[in-house]
Amino acid sequence: MANMPVSEMRLPPHLAYLLAARRLDTAKDVLSLPEVELMAVLDAGVPTARAAVAHVSEAACPPCQTALALLEERVRLGGGGRLATTLCGLDEALGGGIPMGKLTEVVGPSGIGKTQFCLKLALLAALPEYYGGLDGRVVYIDTESKFSSRRMIEIGQKSFPQIFRQEGLAQKMAGRILVMRPASLADFTKSLEQMKVTLLQHDVKLLIVDSMAALMSLGNEKATAGFRQHPLRWALSFLKSIAEFSRIPVVVTNQVRSQSNDDGYHFSFEVDRKDGNNCAERFDSHLIAALGIQWAHAVTVRLVFESHSGHRFIKVAKSPMSPAVAFPFAVESSGITLLSDEGIDVTGPEITSIRCQGQNILSR
Amino acid sequence: MSYTGSAPASSSLYWKGMESSGDPHPPILAGAQNAWDMLSDEQSQKHITTGSGDLNNILGGGIHCKEVTEIGGVPGVGKTQLGIQLAINVQIPVEYGGLGGKAVYIDTEGSFMVERVYQIAEGCISDILEHFPHSHGKSSSGQKQLQPEHFLADIYYFRICSYTEQIAAINYLEKFLGEHKDVRIVIIDSVTFHFRQDFDDLALRTRVLSGLSLKLMKIAKAFNLAVVLLNQVTTKFTEGSFQLTLALGDSWSHSCTNRLILYWNGNDRYAYLDKSPSLPVASAPYAVTGKGVRDAASSNHKRVRVT
Amino acid sequence: MSATRGRSGGGATTSGCGLKRRNAPQDQEDSKMINQDQPSTEDWCGRFWNGMELLKDVTEKKHFLPTGLEGIDTLLGGGLRQGQLTEITGPSSSGKTQVCLHCASNIAAKQMGVVMYLDTSNSFSPSRVATIIYGISDLFGQRGFELQPKDARLKSVMRSIICESVFDIFALFEVLHQLEVSLLNDKVNNGGSKVCLLVIDSISSLLAPIIGGKYPQGRSMMISVAVILKKLADEHNLSVLRTFNLFRMPSSNNSYRMPSSNKVTNHMVSAGNGAVKPALGESWKAVPHVRLMLSHECQNNICTATVLKHTLMASGRTAKFAAPS
Repeated sequence: MANMPVSEMRLPPHLAYLLAARRLDTAKDVLSLPEVELMAVLDAGVPTARAAVAHVSEAACPPCQTALALLEERVRLGGGGRLATTLCGLDEALGGGIPMGKLTEVVGPSGIGKTQFCLKLALLAALPEYYGGLDGRVVYIDTESKFSSRRMIEIGQKSFPQIFRQEGLAQKMAGRILVMRPASLADFTKSLEQMKVTLLQHDVKLLIVDSMAALMSLGNEKATAGFRQHPLRWALSFLKSIAEFSRIPVVVTNQVRSQSNDDGYHFSFEVDRKDGNNCAERFDSHLIAALGIQWAHAVTVRLVFESHSGHRFIKVAKSPMSPAVAFPFAVESSGITLLSDEGIDVTGPEITSIRCQGQNILSR
Repeated sequence: MSYTGSAPASSSLYWKGMESSGDPHPPILAGAQNAWDMLSDEQSQKHITTGSGDLNNILGGGIHCKEVTEIGGVPGVGKTQLGIQLAINVQIPVEYGGLGGKAVYIDTEGSFMVERVYQIAEGCISDILEHFPHSHGKSSSGQKQLQPEHFLADIYYFRICSYTEQIAAINYLEKFLGEHKDVRIVIIDSVTFHFRQDFDDLALRTRVLSGLSLKLMKIAKAFNLAVVLLNQVTTKFTEGSFQLTLALGDSWSHSCTNRLILYWNGNDRYAYLDKSPSLPVASAPYAVTGKGVRDAASSNHKRVRVT
Repeated sequence: MSATRGRSGGGATTSGCGLKRRNAPQDQEDSKMINQDQPSTEDWCGRFWNGMELLKDVTEKKHFLPTGLEGIDTLLGGGLRQGQLTEITGPSSSGKTQVCLHCASNIAAKQMGVVMYLDTSNSFSPSRVATIIYGISDLFGQRGFELQPKDARLKSVMRSIICESVFDIFALFEVLHQLEVSLLNDKVNNGGSKVCLLVIDSISSLLAPIIGGKYPQGRSMMISVAVILKKLADEHNLSVLRTFNLFRMPSSNNSYRMPSSNKVTNHMVSAGNGAVKPALGESWKAVPHVRLMLSHECQNNICTATVLKHTLMASGRTAKFAAPS
């Protein structure tokens, strides 16, 4: 809607002519200017400029829906708009599974099981609906070359033995998963742009990016911090728009980096409390998610994978639907399984912290 | 259909009123009010409850109409929850102490989840029925029935995908609110998201944002409603260390009437009133439960998982 | 040592930008004799004053209006001067609006005249004003107040504060124009209480959308506002109090150092050189007569005010005072 051409807006003739004469062709051109500058460009007075802005705004504004209409639409689309992960406790906490149309982030230290989780999700999406899947294709963007079809088939055989005993089904499932290995960030952006069209054509039901942080560091070794933000922002908004536009879940994995002392993460009015918190957690290495706080704001659901006290946990760190709970899990031949479906309630900001005992994970 | 941008007749002339009440000061400006009349107006204003009594107290009763309130916090602390709660609470019927109005929710991030709105509406209704046990699910004179569907039907939702659409929506609000006069709150979640990403020319961004904030102030005053802006945080290097601060920089920090910052204090969620023309700075705890935003101390309702 | 001032007599007309043309009755005979239809220069430039007349005018008519906050009053040598433009700057939440509210309440309470309050961010809080007025302890012992009940006293005080919301620069021009017209009418009719204080909170919100682009209209409007305000202050014996906003650049030290760059239109520098910079650039700094900067520390409740510019005193003096509760 931002690029809606002015010619399609059905403005009053004198305004349409004026805007066209000054080369203001899209809604974005008109609305990005403050009022005074628009007056200068159009060489018109206040009422004309305001009338132009009001007409263009009305045309460019997205349509209004009531929340009730949204709910009815969700109900009509069926399935509650979720991809069930078959991990019962997690599904219940998330309200049915990974939400469709939103961006879900999976973050944790390396080796903890993020890729296993993604493999399982890919498999689930490819399964026929009869078996609880989405019966669709999956696009798997693999930046670290961790995707292994053999492992996926092994997961499939161990989790759904009755399905995979049928001949040829395993191959058919594997065939539904399209793996892409972009060599650089430019590759990634190009294929994403092409993807928007192919998503609908090929009936894609799930998009996985594994991992996002590696992707950001692929093309940007020499770039400064400021520049690194731009591809990230672009990728962020593009992934979100793909998710919403095609109503599919998008799962992105993220890495961790160690927290330096400068990451105070307090507001200015909390200054006197800075020293108290750091002492208690010095034994576990202090990790935070890579990609920064802007990314953290932008994802809708965040699942944190961490390990401490000898166990591994999946924490639902950010979700509009669910309380803060953690589930212990283990990685087995059949993929990720929850050791307990009853989650442990986690209070406070601990839900967002990531711990990894034993090794000191350094940033990549 | 004139779009001259002048305020509608709700900020009306007070000539007649001032003359008839024997005002010793003849009116100097059309459209101005004297402080005494404003005081009486203000005292008859209702505030929008946040759901938590402590939070209402530091806000002076709740979110004020005719003012722009900015609410910021780290991811996951509950900004969207509070926004949705306010969209529901504004609809509490007048006979139960609310404003009986409708809500406009402008969503720029896609974090508006309808099932959660439904849950919060149910929580609000159950609290109403608890406090007013004789209502039996239907308010008097056939007004708003206490059903979650009715609450959802009175939230007008806009999904914004770029800053152009955000500017267009805010400009269009003037006309929209003229047609829907019972809207009492406009929530923008979050106001900074697209401007942080897509705008390269920072000086132009400042100009555009200042223009937007003035428009929002004008809408709040002219249509007598509350404008709530949810904002993200970012880190900034000041005073020798990184500190958290609200996004879009200092130039945006002047664009609101009140500012509330949500943060973690130990294991509890707290809100800090950072800016207000009439109230002192203060903190209060609150909690997010299955029914929505409630008081921290008495939250023996754990958030129920949605089935 | 002489100065000229634009004077307005009866029946003056106004053009769009506020300039006036004077019809001076006593000059008409002279000009009739010289040339019938051409106005003389003096019609346009106004009367010349000599130094003694100026001094007399200043000492008799241009009084100080106390703000009610002792620290600031001492710093300013008595308060806000009539005929002058005083400006308060500071970062967000430093107390600028509170100073404006205090000032308005104090002057209304001491019945010095009518206060015009132009508000751009819906921050004028009548309940806060009422609290401040109640807090002014010696108010209700004055001048015929003893007989009235408390509410009626508050009512008559608060009625002399008039508040208008302005949300864009054109509305501001309109309001100032109307104000000028009504002040002229008052002068003619010589009735009622006159406006003695004009508060604009905050001017930078109105100017921020227009300053900084590649078109010069924004700057010229800013200068016009300044000219009109100064003229109003001077001719009608007003004090004008304005706030504008500072913001902080990322800095290695926390000092409020004034910027050395001369860029007028650029109010977002790219990388921090560590200074607090007024949002409107260098040319705005020259406009007001007196500039004060406020800062506020979070932990304790102390406000610090620094004089940045003053016509009568050396700048750089500071005062600390407890923030008004």
